[in-house]
Amino acid sequence: MMEELAHHILDVARNSLEAGATRVEITVEEDPASDLMRFSVIDNGSGMPPHVLRQLTNPFFTTKTGKKVGLGLPFLQAAVERCGGNLEIKSEVGRGTTVVATFPYYCWDRPPLGDMPRTIVSLLVGNGHLDLCYRHIYNGHSYKLDTGEIRSRLKGISLDTPEVLIWLRQYLTESLSILSGGGGYEVARRAG
Amino acid sequence: MKSLAELDKLREKLQEEMRLREGREDVKVVVTMGTCGIASGAREVLTAILEEISKRGLKGVTVTQTGCAGLCHCEPLVEVERPGRDKVTYGHVDEKKAREIVVSHLVNGQIIKEWTIK
Repeated sequence: MMEELAHHILDVARNSLEAGATRVEITVEEDPASDLMRFSVIDNGSGMPPHVLRQLTNPFFTTKTGKKVGLGLPFLQAAVERCGGNLEIKSEVGRGTTVVATFPYYCWDRPPLGDMPRTIVSLLVGNGHLDLCYRHIYNGHSYKLDTGEIRSRLKGISLDTPEVLIWLRQYLTESLSILSGGGGYEVARRAG
Repeated sequence: MKSLAELDKLREKLQEEMRLREGREDVKVVVTMGTCGIASGAREVLTAILEEISKRGLKGVTVTQTGCAGLCHCEPLVEVERPGRDKVTYGHVDEKKAREIVVSHLVNGQIIKEWTIK
C-alpha cells in the first residue's frame, strides 16, 4: 500500500525510467471547487504491446525478471477504485506511455497528495540527464519546473549532485507553498 | 526564499570543488526503488542520505537508485560500494539508520554489521 499519491507518482515514473524514457512529464491537478484531484505521467519510453497492457492491473503479472509479482499499478488501481475514481493507461510501442489517475478531491479514502518535492528529487537521483517536466495546477493557477532550465544554469555541474538536489527540494517546496496560498501540500488528511 | 541566483552561487562553489577532486574514484551508494522499496520508505531513505551528505559537505559520493532487487522483505535496501572493497548491503533501513550509515560507513569507514544482510 502506498501512503501518498506522491508515492504512486514516483512508482509510475520509475516504470518510465525502466522503460528507457529520456523525457517524463508529470502533471498534478488539484481543483477542490470541481472536486477533482488528477495526476498524469507521460513518458517517451519504449511503450508496451497490447498483451502487456491487458495485464497491467494483474498483480501476478510482471515484465521484470527475478520476481513473480508486479504490484505498482494494481495498488494504484485499488486506490482509484476505493474512491470511485478512474485510471487510464495508454501506450504505444516505440512512442511511450501515458498514465492518468483521477480521484474525487473530497473523499476520505483518497490518499493525501503528499510530498511532491521529495518525489521529484528522488526521481532525479542518479538520473541527472533526465528531462523532467513537472506541472502543478492548483485552483487554476499553474506552476512549472523544467529540469532543462535548471541544467542550463548549472553549466556542466550534474543536476543530481546532492547539494543541488537539496536546493531543488527546498525551491520546489517553497514554490508549491506559494501556489497553494501558503497552505503547504497535503501531508495527511485521512481520519482515524 | 530560494532563488535561481542562489543556484548560480551554488554552481560556482561546486565547480571549484569538482576541479580539486578530479580523477578520484567515488564511493557509490545505491537505494533500491521498486514498488516494494517505495512502499516501505525508500524515498524517505534516499532523501535522508542526500541531506546528510549535503549537510556534511561530503565529496566523492555518488548516490543512485535501482529497481527491485528481489529482496522485497528486507526493503528499504541501501548498498554501499567503496572502490576496491566488497559491496555492503543494509536492510530495513529507515531515515535515522540512513543518516547513521552516512556518518559511520561513509565518513568513518565503519560498517554497521548488525544492519547488513547477506
